[in-house]
Amino acid sequence: MEYQKVSDMNGLCNGKIVTEFNCRNGFSELSIETKKAAVQRKNETSRKEAEDESRLPALEAAYTTILQGLGEDTDRQGLLRTPLRAAKAMQFLTKGYHETIYDVLNDAIFDEDHDELVIVKDIDVFSLCEHHLVPFFGKVHIGYLPSKKVVGLSKLARIVEIYSRRLQVQERLTKQIAMAISEALQPAGVAVVIEAAHMCMVMRGVQKMNSRTVTSAMLGVFREDPKTREEFLALTKSA
Amino acid sequence: MERSKQKQLKPSESDASASNDTSLNGHFGQTVKVQNMSGVSKGSTGEVSTQPSSVMESWREERTRSIEDNEMSLPSIAAAYTTILRGLGEDPQRQGLIKTPWRAATAMQFFTKGYQEKIIDVLNDAIFDEDHDEMVIVKDIDMFSMCEHHLVPIFGRVHIGYLPNKRVLGLSKLARIVEIYSRRLQVQERLTKQIAVAITEALQPAGVGVVVEATHMCMVMRGVQKMNSKTVTSTMLGVFREDPKTRDEFLTLIRS
Repeated sequence: MEYQKVSDMNGLCNGKIVTEFNCRNGFSELSIETKKAAVQRKNETSRKEAEDESRLPALEAAYTTILQGLGEDTDRQGLLRTPLRAAKAMQFLTKGYHETIYDVLNDAIFDEDHDELVIVKDIDVFSLCEHHLVPFFGKVHIGYLPSKKVVGLSKLARIVEIYSRRLQVQERLTKQIAMAISEALQPAGVAVVIEAAHMCMVMRGVQKMNSRTVTSAMLGVFREDPKTREEFLALTKSA
Repeated sequence: MERSKQKQLKPSESDASASNDTSLNGHFGQTVKVQNMSGVSKGSTGEVSTQPSSVMESWREERTRSIEDNEMSLPSIAAAYTTILRGLGEDPQRQGLIKTPWRAATAMQFFTKGYQEKIIDVLNDAIFDEDHDEMVIVKDIDMFSMCEHHLVPIFGRVHIGYLPNKRVLGLSKLARIVEIYSRRLQVQERLTKQIAVAITEALQPAGVGVVVEATHMCMVMRGVQKMNSKTVTSTMLGVFREDPKTRDEFLTLIRS
């Protein structure tokens, strides 16, 4: 059930904001499901790797067509194995489709009586623009106010990885990260800020080298209380 | 006269001229002597083999793609991108992805538009006789290219310096030369050399120095994933190669 929600969100997140935040059945059963699903999960992962392998020839053929369409000579030494390399690179850059929050959190949710802001900032993020298939990259700052449960810090970065290694729109990426953390932890509030440079704007089109796009998602107490939001923004501002 | 010869080139198989240029793109570094290049690349079209093989003519034969070629190949490239989207497990019919194959195909053609341009067009006769024999440097030219091994962007800066020998070049033309060679499927070493050789052939200066400093997304976004790594390559020709003091002056000035 959790899998479907996560994969649906990539296309439809904009419409589902409020309902998703209130829906808590995803993770409250996490600890029970974990034991049952351990074996099932292993099978799931190995199937995904096999799927990747089986799709490689079609991707390779597509890349060969592209190279020829661009007027290049696909038999020259530098390009001989480029279709294979490019196909594998593209699969790596979209590996977020195969992963679920379930796998990645690894039970690293702990009961801790901490009710102050926890911030992990300057997480490097690399994603692909879904409109031009060109990278965009930047930094993510995540903050949350725990409500009796804290999460392993690297798991925040892993959540970023899952959602960023997909064909994305920066607004949706920000929202998905915030939602995933809300659902996993039920904290008092979550804040996510992404500042990125879009190669589709820098390398082509308007060609503005120094432009950056900043998006943010504030949920819970970060949305309602301006002081909490201010504290988060002040702490994540780079000196 | 050259124009009419170019027009005769166009209707001939674009594949033939494609392989001409890509043997250039692949072997430019080795063939500063033009006679070699003409021999390698002009097997197919008879009229081309009668071109004068002077050094100045070598880079006039570079044109492969035209606007018409682009339009004709767009549908097949877009179809290839649709296959790629499906192969990655995405749904090409969802709202965000419906026109993506076309946008991605057009973007990729833009990123390789260097194949459509020739040095001779871009220089626009902006070569002037000037009695100047001190170093001329244009630095911090932003450069964007595509890695030919992974089809992932490379971006960085190019610094160019040359010692004129009675002839100077319009400054923006140096940046245009960078654009022509960088907007291709490239390897950074080859890019650096091609820029240096093009300037040498255009101006016959006393020396040329080119330094390219770039970040390779193929190393940053995938593979080893080293975020802050930069690759620096340089080509020194003529007096920049022989005289260490000139080279030093150039390197100091681009650093400041």
